[in-house]
Amino acid sequence: MAAYLLHLAILAGIYIILAVSLNLIIGYAGQVSLGHAAFYGIGAYASALAALHWHFPFPLAALGAMLVTGGCGLALGLPTLRLKEDYLAIVTLGFGVIVDLVFLNLEVTGGPDGLVGIPSPRLLGLSFRPQPLYLLLVILAVFLVLGFTYLLVRSYHGRALRAIRDHETTAQVMGINTPAYKIVIFSLAAALAGLAGSLYAHYITFINPESFGLHTSILILCMVVLGGMGSIIGSVLGAIALAVLPEMLRQFQAYQDLIYGALLVALLIWRPEGLLGRGKLSLKFLTRG
Amino acid sequence: MFLQQLLNGLTTGSVYALIALGYTMIYGILGLINFAQGEIYMCGAFVAVLLLATGKVNFYLAFAAGMVAAALLGVALERVAFRPLRGAHPLVPLISAIGASIFLQSLALLLFGPNDRPFPIQFTFSTITVAGLPLSTLQGAILAAALGLMGLLMVFVRYTRYGKAIVACALDRDTARLMGINVDRMVALTFFIGSALSGAAGVMMAIYYNATYPRMGLLPGLKAFSAAILGGVGNIPGAILGGLLLGVAESLGAAYVSSGYKDAIAFAILIGVLLLRPQGILKGRGD
Amino acid sequence: MLTLKSVQAGYGRLPVLKGISLHVRPGEVVTLIGGNGAGKTTTLQAICGLLPPRKGLIEFAGQELNRLSPERIVALGLALVPEGRRVFRTLSVSANLELGAFHRQDQKQARRDLGELQERFPILKERSRQPAGTLSGGEQQILAIGRALMARPRLLMLDEPSMGLAPRMVTQVYEILKELKEAGTTILLVEQNARAALKVADRGYVLETGRIILDGTAAELKEDPEVQRAYLGKGYREVWE
Repeated sequence: MAAYLLHLAILAGIYIILAVSLNLIIGYAGQVSLGHAAFYGIGAYASALAALHWHFPFPLAALGAMLVTGGCGLALGLPTLRLKEDYLAIVTLGFGVIVDLVFLNLEVTGGPDGLVGIPSPRLLGLSFRPQPLYLLLVILAVFLVLGFTYLLVRSYHGRALRAIRDHETTAQVMGINTPAYKIVIFSLAAALAGLAGSLYAHYITFINPESFGLHTSILILCMVVLGGMGSIIGSVLGAIALAVLPEMLRQFQAYQDLIYGALLVALLIWRPEGLLGRGKLSLKFLTRG
Repeated sequence: MFLQQLLNGLTTGSVYALIALGYTMIYGILGLINFAQGEIYMCGAFVAVLLLATGKVNFYLAFAAGMVAAALLGVALERVAFRPLRGAHPLVPLISAIGASIFLQSLALLLFGPNDRPFPIQFTFSTITVAGLPLSTLQGAILAAALGLMGLLMVFVRYTRYGKAIVACALDRDTARLMGINVDRMVALTFFIGSALSGAAGVMMAIYYNATYPRMGLLPGLKAFSAAILGGVGNIPGAILGGLLLGVAESLGAAYVSSGYKDAIAFAILIGVLLLRPQGILKGRGD
Repeated sequence: MLTLKSVQAGYGRLPVLKGISLHVRPGEVVTLIGGNGAGKTTTLQAICGLLPPRKGLIEFAGQELNRLSPERIVALGLALVPEGRRVFRTLSVSANLELGAFHRQDQKQARRDLGELQERFPILKERSRQPAGTLSGGEQQILAIGRALMARPRLLMLDEPSMGLAPRMVTQVYEILKELKEAGTTILLVEQNARAALKVADRGYVLETGRIILDGTAAELKEDPEVQRAYLGKGYREVWE
């Protein structure tokens, strides 16, 4: 039982990183990504391959994964982020499909079977294989990510981002280079998703394409919308709720996606600020006529 | 061989074009992408296949029922997932449509299971030779039906009162209201027509690939969206041209470049267009 | 025929109309003059239902318009020629005209009206199949007026029909208004070009920062020193003639 709770806590931590990073894209760049699970997957595969083939230590493998996913984000964001919201959503959806196809078809990714025997992290001679230690590692990562996000959002750049989200044209007139900001934030968020992928791969030690499909992207999106777009605390709570709830409602597993889909529509109609959003935390702009 | 591939490409391309018309018309009038267009396509296919499987309905009736069911689903979708959110930040209806798309896909999965269903009736298709080119009558029929529907749509938009009213709403909503045009009704009509075309596309593909399954809308939806962008989103002739071009590019690419990544070709074209000419081949919105 | 009683309206928190009262009797040509930002366009939008009023009463032919949608209001017999013409640019000239009659029940009669209108304004016949966006500004203005007439309105409202037109076209547009007046059309004409407007109008109101500061017959307004100073630009050459 304790092991199971630790397992849930570790997964929740990984989801927190995913939700917070997607929320950077939604709440601060005003865009929707449906390929977040693809970045997560690329991170997981890149980190696993670096460890398996080149015997990279975990910190280097994770860093490499972040660089790779950040680069993918940059490549994907450059052509699309100058355009309307819808384009990024569709392009990232397509990206997810292609990445899935690549994982399935490439030899080096092991096709549908994926990769096995991914080593657990070792730091200073200490193995992080035991769950409590791994949980500590995840918590450390979550705090680093939250701290980084908090500083980013509070900084001058964060104010610029909010200006872009609320009034893109005005922001442009004020001399903010809006496409550049959006591209940077998108690729940062992709890098953070890569970190989450790396943490997942080295914890679970075997990965296959199934974990990184559209289903997972939607799950992350639900976490963000549930918690409130633009609210970091909201994303943390949304991630914990949706990581834990499905485990408690096992008998409804077949209905999971059905519920998530309905949840998205219903939330946006009745409570676009999210369940936990209120006042300052929420994005009033989303409901403004 | 080349001509055969060209013909294959035109056949699938004409189906992409039908779906792309739905995207483009809805974009024209609402300025939004209907993310659930692929699920509407899937709905059309399922309704026709399930009706035919009962053995009590003839083919044409089942085809028409598929179109009508898709059209009604489109209208319902607009009421539930789009209309209450009008005037909100564009992210809101976008995410709501994504939610609707996932909902419909998983609903189909629950109701019908994940497996492919074959098309219930066996057509005997022959190959005839036209001008030295082997032409499958199935491809001929799909191509003819798709082009016929597109022609009907063009006539509707250009020459009927309601068609012109839809264009007027897309161009200038307030002035259209001053003409006494009820914009809500025109939006519903647009969803009805665009979705009926997608439903027809669904039935055609269900016959062509002999497979109907809950996720069948994902890739054609994505490709049709690329086609709409390629032709200039909001532009009706552009969507048709974009669909045909994309189908041909995909078919030739699969034959001469790599068949494993056939589905990636549309995506590569989409990225290329967005980089080089985001307004599409034929510019503009409206007619 | 049309009555406004202490109408208030605005955008968001910003009040534009601060209590406006005016009326138009059948067969009359009434003008509403005023400078930029006085609230002229807002008044017309409030009447048409595009910007429902916050307070006050708007009545047309005995029916309250306050809560009706533009579609319903237009169907009662009001037609607006909007500011800046707003023709449907990619649609043909004849399609624009047809849409003017969209809400009419008698579509057959509307088709005959279209023919008559094209006889009357030959330019609309010549350019019949051309996209409206390819017309010159003055031609678009004639098209916009024709489109409004296709509704067979009981009250025709025009928002700055002379705006942005060459002097020659202004003359032509006002010739049309004069003909319409002689045919007995009831008109509410909003103008910045007071000189032109007061020549066709029977009566007028002067609007300033959301309030009506003056009203009277066209002749009275023309003689009013305040109007002369502020709107007729005494001392300048008469431009529109």
